Amino acid sequence: MTESRSRRLGDALIAPVCFGVGILAAWEAVVRVTGLKPFVLPAPTAIWTAFTDRFSDVVDKSMVTGANALIGLVLGAVFGIAMSFVIVRFRLLEELVTPLAVALNAVPIVVIVPVLNNMLFGTTSQVPRRLMVTLIVFFVVLVNVSKGLRQVSPTQLELMRSYAASPWEVMKKVRVPNSIGYLVTALRIAAPLAVITAFVSEYFGGPQDGLANAVTNSLNGSKDVTWAYVIGASTLGLIFYLASIGVERVNDATRGPRQAT
Amino acid sequence: MLLAVAIAAGAWELYKALGPPDGGDVFGWRIIPKTNDRVMPHIWEMLAEFGDPEVRGRDTAVWEAMLGYSWYTLRMSLAGLLLGGALGIGLAVLMARFRVVERGLLPYVVLSQTIPLIALAPQVAALGGNWGLPKWTWAAALAAFLSFFPVTIATLRGLQSVPAASLELMDSFAASWWTTLRKLRFPAAVPFIVPGLKLAATASVIGVVVSEVSLGLRGVGFAALSYGQKTTSQPATVYTAVFAAALLGLIMFGLVSAAEAFVMRKRPTEINT
Amino acid sequence: MTDTAQPVHPSVDARGVAMSFNQGTAEQVDALVDVDLRIESGAFVSLIGPSGCGKSTLLRLIANLIEPTAGQVMVNGKDAAQARLDQDYGMAFQQSGLFDWRTVTKNIELPLELKGWGKAERSARAAEMLELVKLADRGNHMPWQLSGGQQQRIAIARALAAHPPLLLMDEPFGALDEMTREHMQSELLDICAAANTTVVFVTHSIPEAVYLSTQVVVMSAGPGRITDVIDVDLGRTRDEDTREDDGFYKKVTEVREALRGGDHERSTHRSEDR
Repeated sequence: MTESRSRRLGDALIAPVCFGVGILAAWEAVVRVTGLKPFVLPAPTAIWTAFTDRFSDVVDKSMVTGANALIGLVLGAVFGIAMSFVIVRFRLLEELVTPLAVALNAVPIVVIVPVLNNMLFGTTSQVPRRLMVTLIVFFVVLVNVSKGLRQVSPTQLELMRSYAASPWEVMKKVRVPNSIGYLVTALRIAAPLAVITAFVSEYFGGPQDGLANAVTNSLNGSKDVTWAYVIGASTLGLIFYLASIGVERVNDATRGPRQAT
Repeated sequence: MLLAVAIAAGAWELYKALGPPDGGDVFGWRIIPKTNDRVMPHIWEMLAEFGDPEVRGRDTAVWEAMLGYSWYTLRMSLAGLLLGGALGIGLAVLMARFRVVERGLLPYVVLSQTIPLIALAPQVAALGGNWGLPKWTWAAALAAFLSFFPVTIATLRGLQSVPAASLELMDSFAASWWTTLRKLRFPAAVPFIVPGLKLAATASVIGVVVSEVSLGLRGVGFAALSYGQKTTSQPATVYTAVFAAALLGLIMFGLVSAAEAFVMRKRPTEINT
Repeated sequence: MTDTAQPVHPSVDARGVAMSFNQGTAEQVDALVDVDLRIESGAFVSLIGPSGCGKSTLLRLIANLIEPTAGQVMVNGKDAAQARLDQDYGMAFQQSGLFDWRTVTKNIELPLELKGWGKAERSARAAEMLELVKLADRGNHMPWQLSGGQQQRIAIARALAAHPPLLLMDEPFGALDEMTREHMQSELLDICAAANTTVVFVTHSIPEAVYLSTQVVVMSAGPGRITDVIDVDLGRTRDEDTREDDGFYKKVTEVREALRGGDHERSTHRSEDR
């Protein structure tokens, strides 16, 4: 059984791996043959050397950006969950918050980072960046979790009524367990978004110790250094993504594959 | 919606009236916003700021300058959306046609969204500079990078949503793969593509605004950054950029929604993806 | 099985019951008009009729999931609302309605939890019920790991966990295939005989109604009402041979004709009942 499983995994991996290796090889070849200068486009081998050379610095910068993303993710999730309970309880509030959430989704809200920087003595503080991540995560979690609290199977609600269950019991036994799957989905969407937002916020001022700052500061130099930090950023995004996938897998294993997303 | 905006404005003014003028700390975090006029101007001051000269002593008003910035950003966003949309649909068709491409490429398409692609801005600028492309194409290319993903996924799902019976029908007509795509798969995919494009429109604006900042292009995002740095002289100006950015996002979203209304006018109901 | 010590109240007593949706508006729908129904303790009563005849509505009125717009429903000699608060009945639906985040055992324990039973009592009863529905080895499974028929048996076990004297069932076997369905019918009869439960059973299958019931209540639509009540005197012990029995076929014919008679006035197809 495990053998067939690992074989299936191998089958699934072979095409992507071939594609990746092919692209890297083509890239290397193009750079070598056309003789592009490293400040235009560095070769993969050059990037790898630059990455290993400054590995500890890439890790340091990643920790700064990663911490901002993680703190924002946790805070946004906590506030998002709390707010879901509030808006599910008060219909009117929901009608106010929902269009706001939709509108904010369509708007590039990162531009408020300079505003937050001013409001919070931002030039030395990571707080505006963390607040930015919190805000983005907050709305993702809010929209999904409140949906999960509301969209309960009618049969289960009838059943609870036939048990003469109180609203509190319905909340505890039906709505909250039902929303767990939605929370997991929200986290899967929000986790990579948190990294991207933490990264992008750094472009808009504040302290100069994050990954995006490192990318900006390498702008005029050889691009292999830039790519070294890009690898850091990609790895950070991947770690967050894989962690959220892991949470989803654990949830699926106990609850079964979910029908609705 | 209007009510929500009104309440937000009311909350702003209320907090300004009641909050501490110099901010405060919670658990060592400087998190209580300061409320003095320099950082939290009255809303009417923000609006009045549109009429002030952009730079003291010159006669271009902020609204004129902002209109210029917004138009620049809007054009780049539209270009990014078109490019991203075309790329997204093209990739999806390719993946639907060749299973190998789907299996080889799809993981990378998904991964590309988990990493801050915008980090590549300097690289794109370097290549663009080398090839002598105008600067706005750099931002448009990055915006396309951000916006192709939702289109690809939505289109692929739409192309594969065709019921087996319809495919068998086309087979019974001895229709070629290309004819089946044009007559059956693509029309069936439209209700999926439209929501994908909505997400893409938003992503495109964000992509442009962020690349402006990292590339120094003079659009709305750049304005937000540079106005934010001169709060001592003109504290309310930065908010004009925030308003403009919000409006831009909504305009792009509105454009796609209008296109949706046109394309979907003969379809029964929207599909929930 | 009769028990003389039981009070003489009928299990269900509905008098002059009517139910209208959207009352007083242009879209008023008379789901039920002027329904009188008396179900004696220990009976197995099927409600049968075309879509829109209000059979599910009647069941929900008995369960007090909805309130009638006119008339009165008594359950075990009490007002239906009080009977719901006292948990005098258990209920099973077409969808099993199992909570997919709870194990099978935990699903059966749900009504007991809400009644405030202790942990040990709950698990003892759950084990007993699993035994009764012949799924004793599945207690730690998750609902999605079971087949449709098994899920429905768990739903019945859940409905009977608190030993209610009355079981209300809304097309519980409607989503099952014919083989599983017949098998489940026999099991339901065994389970109810063992627990001495009165059953009200909504179905749109004539053979199912005849096979299970001591009484078949025939309903018709537009507006929903009871047109006929047919006694099924095939004896209380029924097995696979009953399905081949001449008396069984006669009853099936009788119910079919009653349905057709009530159906004559209907000219248009009506949408979903309830």
